[in-house]
Amino acid sequence: MQQIRIPLSKIVFVFLVVLGCQQEKKLPFLGPKEVGEQGDTLYHKIPDFKFLNQDSLWVSQKDMAGKIYVADFFFTTCPTICPKMKTQLLRIYDKFAEDDRVRILSHTIDPEYDGVRVLKDYAKKLNITSPRWNLVTGKKSDIYRLGKKSYMVTAQEDANEEGGFVHSGAFILVDQNRHVRGIYDGTKEEDVNHLIEDMTLLLKE
Amino acid sequence: MINKLAILGLMIIGISCESREEITRQQYVVEGMNLYQTNCANCHQVDGSGLKDLYPPLARTDLWQRVKMSELACIIKHGQKDSIQVNGKPYNAYMPANPKLQALDIAELMTYMREKWSPNKTIFSLDSARYALKNCP
Repeated sequence: MQQIRIPLSKIVFVFLVVLGCQQEKKLPFLGPKEVGEQGDTLYHKIPDFKFLNQDSLWVSQKDMAGKIYVADFFFTTCPTICPKMKTQLLRIYDKFAEDDRVRILSHTIDPEYDGVRVLKDYAKKLNITSPRWNLVTGKKSDIYRLGKKSYMVTAQEDANEEGGFVHSGAFILVDQNRHVRGIYDGTKEEDVNHLIEDMTLLLKE
Repeated sequence: MINKLAILGLMIIGISCESREEITRQQYVVEGMNLYQTNCANCHQVDGSGLKDLYPPLARTDLWQRVKMSELACIIKHGQKDSIQVNGKPYNAYMPANPKLQALDIAELMTYMREKWSPNKTIFSLDSARYALKNCP
């Protein structure tokens, strides 16, 4: 019987390749892609925005530059999924408490009621502070357009819905360059575990 | 002999009556758990710990001794607009009403919450729930 001998160096090589592949796991770029002038792929990007936060300060894309952030849509009097989402966001807030590269951006979809004062009170009760966690308000049409077109989530008024609004419980993960890299169900603990893993991965990019 | 049998008979009836109430209580606890998770846990959390200073806890609170059970039943059904004190702390986020919950649902919910968090782990009967809801402020 002939014995097949594989040199050790080959085994080590294959092992390294496999290991290398695993380390190269990258998050996808979500949203519509375009082809640039040079034939390169242009990934979907969050456009410029400007909203007021709970401390009456402007928050724009400039404040998010070089940071990764989780965006969501909510309203303070929401009786259904928002408390669940906030419970999960608090986990993220606590988990990355020491990391200045991480932000949370919660947009109210009921800006008529959720003015700066209401948001301030809400933030105080959740024991959260800006700029790590911004609760923002602004022009309703701006918020809805940004939600739908850029973050790819539903957010609109609906008198038939409990609380008067229909919105998804999505958390959107945005990278350092304004690209959407993941969308998660913010009402499910397991999905948010996944998000936390992906955030750690994204911070290494 | 007859006496002994009679006593035994009474004892059996006694035990079975008691366990029938206990069986009902346990059924209420199980149904109440489902109702709690659907209608209450979003804000008050599955473990009853509440959400920071926004929504009050139900577990480890003075609610169960301080507030009348009928009053709690009414809050569940009709919501709460005013501030409420829990463990000496005021909470003023409004609580939405639950018009869909019927007397039986509320009896089951209350029985479940008592089982979990009240020192008094007895059934909150359907009659008590009906009576409480009829006399809400």
